[in-house]
Amino acid sequence: MTILYDEGQQAIATESRRVLEARVDKDALLPLLESVGEYHRPFWDTAKEQGWTALALPEADGGLGLGLIELGLIAHQAGRSISGAPFLTSGFGAAKAIELFGSDAQKARWLPGLASGETIGAIAFAAGPDALPARPDVTFTGDRLDGTVRGVSAGLAADIAIVFANGPGMPVLALVDLAGVQRSAVPSFDNSRLIADLHFSGVPAEPLAVGSAARDAALHILALQAVVTAHEQTGGAEALMEIARDYALTRKAFGQPIGAFQSVKHRIAELYGLVELARANCIHAAAREGAGDFVIAAAAARLSATEAYDTAARDCIQIHGGIGVTWEIGLHLHMRRARSLAIEQGSSLFWEDILVDQLAGEAA
Amino acid sequence: MSDLDAYRAKAAAWLQSMAPTYGRDARKGLSEADDLALGRRYQKAKFDAGYAGINWAVEYGGQGLGHLEKVTFDAEEMKHGFPSFYFGISLGMPVPVLMQFGSDKEFVKERVLKALQGEEIWCQLFSEPSGGSDLAGLRTKAEPDGNGWKINGQKVWTSWAHYSDYGVIVVRTDPTVAKHKGLTYFWVDMKAPGVTVRPIKLAGGDSHVNEVFFDDVKITDDHRMSPVGGGFAVAIATLMIERYVATDSAGFGPHLDLFVELAKEVRLGGRPAIEDGRIRQQIARNHAMRAGLDSINVRARLMMQAGMMPGPEGSLNKLVAVRSRQKLSELALDLQGGDAFLFDEHASQKEDWASSWINAPTGRIAGGSDETLLNTIAEKVLGLPQDHRPDKGIPFNQIPA
Repeated sequence: MTILYDEGQQAIATESRRVLEARVDKDALLPLLESVGEYHRPFWDTAKEQGWTALALPEADGGLGLGLIELGLIAHQAGRSISGAPFLTSGFGAAKAIELFGSDAQKARWLPGLASGETIGAIAFAAGPDALPARPDVTFTGDRLDGTVRGVSAGLAADIAIVFANGPGMPVLALVDLAGVQRSAVPSFDNSRLIADLHFSGVPAEPLAVGSAARDAALHILALQAVVTAHEQTGGAEALMEIARDYALTRKAFGQPIGAFQSVKHRIAELYGLVELARANCIHAAAREGAGDFVIAAAAARLSATEAYDTAARDCIQIHGGIGVTWEIGLHLHMRRARSLAIEQGSSLFWEDILVDQLAGEAA
Repeated sequence: MSDLDAYRAKAAAWLQSMAPTYGRDARKGLSEADDLALGRRYQKAKFDAGYAGINWAVEYGGQGLGHLEKVTFDAEEMKHGFPSFYFGISLGMPVPVLMQFGSDKEFVKERVLKALQGEEIWCQLFSEPSGGSDLAGLRTKAEPDGNGWKINGQKVWTSWAHYSDYGVIVVRTDPTVAKHKGLTYFWVDMKAPGVTVRPIKLAGGDSHVNEVFFDDVKITDDHRMSPVGGGFAVAIATLMIERYVATDSAGFGPHLDLFVELAKEVRLGGRPAIEDGRIRQQIARNHAMRAGLDSINVRARLMMQAGMMPGPEGSLNKLVAVRSRQKLSELALDLQGGDAFLFDEHASQKEDWASSWINAPTGRIAGGSDETLLNTIAEKVLGLPQDHRPDKGIPFNQIPA
């Protein structure tokens, strides 16, 4: 069952939009593309100051006790403005892993910092295209991690990571303090994601879940993050649809606005359809947290949001013609972000398999 | 349990009890005449049980409830395959518009009661050979004739005209003004002298639509339902009446579960087709799309419940659902290979992939083509400019043919 946003939730959407529109613009984001290891500090300061980092964590752990619906609304606005750092989603994933599967001591140690945003979390599950590999590259033996996880978002700045590792004959979900861990920066097409390869060599780590429970736990964390990211993607797609619409209303060719040509107006109308389907799936998925069909709802949100953002990036630039491919206009910021968000938390290839396994009633 | 849940539960139980007599299985193998007769009895049963005219005024034999109850009932009703489609157009548009614009209240009341009980059927005479999407470009004309009017011309794609007792019609009464200003709206007796109905066999083999010819059909002025020259507004009002209709994210084709079942049964390259990445991708994509539409529809219902106007995203339903059903049906036939050739032209398009496939083009054209729907979204929702219209503002009889 989906929901209608209540007044408080609508206020979160309005206020976060106002703040982000005032503090983030493309002129601040463009230079970040050309330097490795930098993110948009005003964005992250805003997130901390506004309490967005604490939003979806329990009050007992320093959070505000709200949930996916509210965090999704923030993520939607962040997507509209092109968020300046990946920490909101990665920190949320790490915090949920500790909240749901950690000990009291682990919660006390890490959750207050994650809630305030002073501690930055990362999720390191994937091996290549497999967001949840059957045999992870990293091993967990004798409470120590060995091996490399490649392409971890937020990896350059994170203080802790949740790692999906290959334990003795079974998978392990492990919590690791990244202080002193060797990381190599990955120069990327979207550098403010702070992508890093994490190299573990006998690094002490604490297990959060073991065996099939570890896989279930990791999938649940991915699904939670996927819903947040889907909101962010939908926000980005919505912004691009509006930019395309506005440009089609003002740019003229052959004596009329280009938006009067069906090849252009239908393209934008199709974007509207993709955005609304993604939005509907996002709202539904956020409202299903904790329900038996949550993973199905998360997968649907993720698939439709990825399609919406990728398509909107392609088509919005196409509608702009030559000006659309210039550095200065910044549409490539969205195009780059559409791709990095499509890959983080598992690509469509991953979520299609998860979804069909669930729909066909096979073991996940 | 909310009032609406209680209403739904009661309706579902009643529909369940009617299914053995009027449902899918009861209709198997019936001729169209027998199926229509069954449909009339089913419509009467609905009327007697208080499920006809759910959101219509009590004074006209309706139940006086809201759109919400009607949509709820329709969604439940859709599950059983009842013979209700003969009355879908009749009770969907012409009869409600008669209630709104008919001048002789006693006559109107009599017609409405008969229509609600399945005794009389109404059709809607809008589209013409010269155009469907361009309604205001129609050519059928009515000329003054004594105290009344004389109609000449041709309509087309008229659903159920061959079973209809009455119809509502838009005609041109003044060709010397701009095209949408010279139209007038009437009702007509489909059994009147000069009315000829000729069924059109569609690609899928069935013949529920017709050509309707008018040769010197004389009507009195009390048939008029709009001011002279004011017919276009009533035509638009007709099309707006059914804004809150039950929708189907399967695009009125088979449920995705049936595709998943098929993919589990069939082997492809020595393995169950459900393990094939191409098939899996289509299942996942179609599920995500349909789940999105389902959520849009639930949200629309919640908004109505809260006394709000549902958002414009509801207009995506037919556009998105039917064209994807068309492709999925093709893929389902691919999956069956040689077994797909066996064809039953009377099979239900909700259950049979071949029937769904061959009838899908009709779904993408009838009731607003994909292209018209995209134009509507672009212009009404997003505020993009109208298409270039060379006939705008020009008197109808001076528009180059």
